[in-house]
Amino acid sequence: MRRIVVVCLALGLLPVMAAGGEPVDTRPELSLGRSAEYDYDPPVPGTYRLPVIELAGDGDVLTADGKRVHLRDVVAGQVSVLSFVYTRCADPRACPMATGALYEIQQISRKDATLAENLRLVTFSFDPEHDTPTVMKEYGEMLRPGGKGCEWMFLTTGSARELQPILEEYGQRVDRKRNANDPMGPFYHVVRVYLVDAQGRIRNIYSYGMLDPRMLLADVRTLILEAAAAGG
Amino acid sequence: MMTPRPVMFMTRTLAVLALLLLLAPAAPRADETCMSPYMPKITGQEEFIYVWTLGAENLGDGSDKVVTVDVRPGSKTYGKVINTASVGGRNEAHHGGLTDDRRHLWLGGLDTSKIFVFDIATDPSKPKLEKTIDTFVKDSGGVVGPHGHYALPGRMMVAALSNNKDHSGRTALVEYTNDGKYVATYWMPIDGETFGARVERVADGYGYDLRALPRKNIMLSSSFTGWSNYMMDVGKVVQDEEAMKRFGQTMVLWDLHTKKPLKVFDVPGVPLEIRFATGDNHNWAFTATNLTSKLWLIYEDDKGEWQADEVGDIGDPSKVPMPVAMSISADDKLLFVTTFSDGMVRAYDITDPHHPKQTYEKVIGHQVNMVSQSWDGKRVYFTSSVLSRWDKKDEGSEEYLRAYNWDGKELTPAFDIDFVAEKLGKPHLMRFGSASLYN
Repeated sequence: MRRIVVVCLALGLLPVMAAGGEPVDTRPELSLGRSAEYDYDPPVPGTYRLPVIELAGDGDVLTADGKRVHLRDVVAGQVSVLSFVYTRCADPRACPMATGALYEIQQISRKDATLAENLRLVTFSFDPEHDTPTVMKEYGEMLRPGGKGCEWMFLTTGSARELQPILEEYGQRVDRKRNANDPMGPFYHVVRVYLVDAQGRIRNIYSYGMLDPRMLLADVRTLILEAAAAGG
Repeated sequence: MMTPRPVMFMTRTLAVLALLLLLAPAAPRADETCMSPYMPKITGQEEFIYVWTLGAENLGDGSDKVVTVDVRPGSKTYGKVINTASVGGRNEAHHGGLTDDRRHLWLGGLDTSKIFVFDIATDPSKPKLEKTIDTFVKDSGGVVGPHGHYALPGRMMVAALSNNKDHSGRTALVEYTNDGKYVATYWMPIDGETFGARVERVADGYGYDLRALPRKNIMLSSSFTGWSNYMMDVGKVVQDEEAMKRFGQTMVLWDLHTKKPLKVFDVPGVPLEIRFATGDNHNWAFTATNLTSKLWLIYEDDKGEWQADEVGDIGDPSKVPMPVAMSISADDKLLFVTTFSDGMVRAYDITDPHHPKQTYEKVIGHQVNMVSQSWDGKRVYFTSSVLSRWDKKDEGSEEYLRAYNWDGKELTPAFDIDFVAEKLGKPHLMRFGSASLYN
């Protein structure tokens, strides 16, 4: 119980009384406020349940340093937000939006030690032909200068052959467009971002219209609370 | 009062991304039209119409089937049936829906509670049955009658009609992954077990349609009746006083993210189809009540509270026209409503959704049912069947898909397919397909 209280305090979830006696929710992401796209207040973490959707897929992937690792080893062990993208995508409602959401989350985690310690962001490319480890390293260095906040890993694969089973396991469909020079990028795909718990299970899937950092972080904090309650 | 989210992108790359976001045109959130906002849209010419067709004795193989109609202008087979895919047997084919990646079409059987999953991406002109989910009742903990199939990211939310304990309208929403793995069941709030929802008058626990407005983080569900009624001959139902008490009279507002019911609206008279507006600031949806022939508006008021108001009649309610389906144009200005009893479609100017005005009406034909329109609003399609034991029996055996062109003032016939002459069955739900979605 004491551990849960400590985690709640760390997550900004126990009411702090302001000078006027009103309870204040101290989650830093709430300062983002409502927007035209996300015109609602996010739920309080821990007040709702995230059902287990399925086990997160696995496969051989390459880190930005060219090291070969298993994808499930990367996403399991802590709460992870996994985003499938390709760096050539110029559709503002697709990969740039997903990467923008992860960027905001990483920025917020710099002000929140619990997120910094318990959350990992993973950007995974489905374009190994272009997105080599070197490209992913440069992409990551632009997005995450310095070492503060939660970890953010940038992954790719060594080949289309290694990539395909991973896409199939996650249900992430990618088709080549007839026009390889389409200004929005050469691939047709739906936006997919996955929330994975410490046991390596997918607990939510986000797409266009759902990439609200406040909502993603409500889910992340819910899983951190859940793990604390389970003694994890 | 909303304030713009502060620009947080700091690096040069992200500044470019932010610029792209600012320059991007406002994206419509509906499909063509009124579909899940999570799926890609056919904003140009639809190429195929998939019709979930109820099998009928002495018509072809008598089985439920997906009928594919070619609607490519200039095609040699334009307006013709180019493929049929039978599921082998009758299941009370009724509704279904597309997955968020639009690669699969899920189609439910209200009697057998089977869900048939068709691949429509490999060859959009030839849907192929890929999987049959025949464990729906067991998976869900006793839910019966998969009806509305609504795409969420990577998942399908199935709004059902009944349950296996008493076969009443007490039912639930059931969540699956896109590849057919069961995820969760969310029972409808009912008096005595409201799951924290605020109840205006009564919580009947019934279900029918399900739609979402992600921008406001809400879902809406409507209510029909249970297996014991929808599988009973309609003549017996109307003469059975107790059976007539078992019809939906509520709509439920849900938190889309947490799947918790928030409010149970009092909407008497069987609210069926739900259609959300598309516009960025249009926080409203329409429904029509089947037994009382009323238009209802569900909307967010000035205080941020969601309300349900009756806003008009559909035809002459004393003649019981029985509205069955609706479609809102992509610009949120026009609403088509079909009525089963008189075989008509009516168009309403909904520029002011609180005061819809009928501007047009036309007889489409015997027991008209579903209506679907193209994204540009220029093509409108109608089908003719409702349920095997509720279809009229005294007016011949007319069953059809009728296509019309709409110029803003008049519906003019484009083509007409006779599902009896072609020995296909009784057509109900329509969904659009196009090869352009995949390449």
